[in-house]
Amino acid sequence: MRRPIEMLERGRREVGLSQAELWFRYFELGGMSTALEVEAYLFGALIPTPHDGDLIAAALNERFSELGGDHPIPYSDDQ
Amino acid sequence: MPDPSLSKPPKVDEPSAPTFPRVGSRGDGGAADEFGLMIRLLPNQVVVGVIGEVDMATAPDLGCQLDALVDRGHTDVVLDLANLDFLDSSGLHAIEDTAARLRPAGGVLLIRSPSARTRWLLDVSEVSRLVEFEPSDPELVALGSEHQAGDSATIVSAAAGQTAAVGWATSLPTGHDVVDAALELVTALAQATVGGADGASVSIARHGRMGTVAATDDTVAQMDRDQYATGQGPCLAAAGEGHRFHVESVADDARWPDFVPRARAGGIGSILSTPLMAAAGRSVGALNIYSRTERAFGPPEQELAALFATQASRILDSAGVAAEQATRLQAALRVRELIAQAQGVVMARQGVSAAAASATLLRSSRQAHISLRRQATEITASTQRQVPLTGSEA
Repeated sequence: MRRPIEMLERGRREVGLSQAELWFRYFELGGMSTALEVEAYLFGALIPTPHDGDLIAAALNERFSELGGDHPIPYSDDQ
Repeated sequence: MPDPSLSKPPKVDEPSAPTFPRVGSRGDGGAADEFGLMIRLLPNQVVVGVIGEVDMATAPDLGCQLDALVDRGHTDVVLDLANLDFLDSSGLHAIEDTAARLRPAGGVLLIRSPSARTRWLLDVSEVSRLVEFEPSDPELVALGSEHQAGDSATIVSAAAGQTAAVGWATSLPTGHDVVDAALELVTALAQATVGGADGASVSIARHGRMGTVAATDDTVAQMDRDQYATGQGPCLAAAGEGHRFHVESVADDARWPDFVPRARAGGIGSILSTPLMAAAGRSVGALNIYSRTERAFGPPEQELAALFATQASRILDSAGVAAEQATRLQAALRVRELIAQAQGVVMARQGVSAAAASATLLRSSRQAHISLRRQATEITASTQRQVPLTGSEA
């Protein structure tokens, strides 16, 4: 997989989102996992579906662009 | 375009002098483009869903649309106000005009899911005489008639106390009735423990006007109302200026010449109003303690009152946090729905699965350097404008 799971947690710390805030943004984009599940994804205790992983990545990427950056976190079907 | 409602806390407790009420369910201005109509033609009726804010800028659109429907011969028009955030007098006029046009033709304008606030507006403006209300909500109707007879103070408390019945959850925090119950408890305790106190009330500014949210009895509530009506008195002064106002003797207080005679007539001897301070340091209302005795409140009573005022302020602060969360959640649900719609559009256009459509949206929003929400908005809008779906091919 091109997106190691630690990348999500690293990204979260980099943009300074709390886990609760990240979950909220993920939920806003259509995510269906609970806040606890998302926390488990971040620490590798659960493996998200590619779709869930992408939504978390998208929530982080949108935060990166809000801060003036690019979209550094790849999506599951990126070549 | 960024949606301001996501980050902006609801302004429900701005301190302010009692002014003529801004008619509407929220004190908040909001973006000018937060308005939309959803029209559904059913076999025997037409349903017009109003979304967002109806004010001077958007009321003409609503009026034109309703006019057009009446022109086309629709006589059974349902106005669904479940998603209405704000309504001002121009919007009321649009509703009134339509109802007035429908009636002679034997038609009817049926109002569906108005907020308690909107219902009250329709009642006080007497527009409710021209329209009909969908009868699915008997408690709402009962509450509405209460409003018609009552005045500002009872409206605030009645509306806030009926959270579950009238679906105020959309504009007030869930459990608002719990907050009011807690404030009732504070006033009861203040009355019982502050020496000389015969009654107590909590007034706060909601939607830009002062209202009594808790009162130990009718006399006290009436004293508060007299202050709102005259626009003066210790409660308003304490709330407005953020420090304590003490009427030691109603008989010889000259500060509020319009209000004080009413207090005297009501048998009140002294009044102590302590401001309620929000966490941000702003004054959001006042705790008022009334006594039939003159000079009832000395320094110990004033200190005790300050303690109760602090308690009431904390309760209100937690309500404010809950309101903020409710607003954010509502906004998030709107975005989710928008994205789901856009996903549906992509599924239909490209004949792909939901997951594939979602992936397409993610990629295209990244390519176009716009947020997913923005991308979804454009895609959804493109179905109406018939413009090609931009940036959706990876």
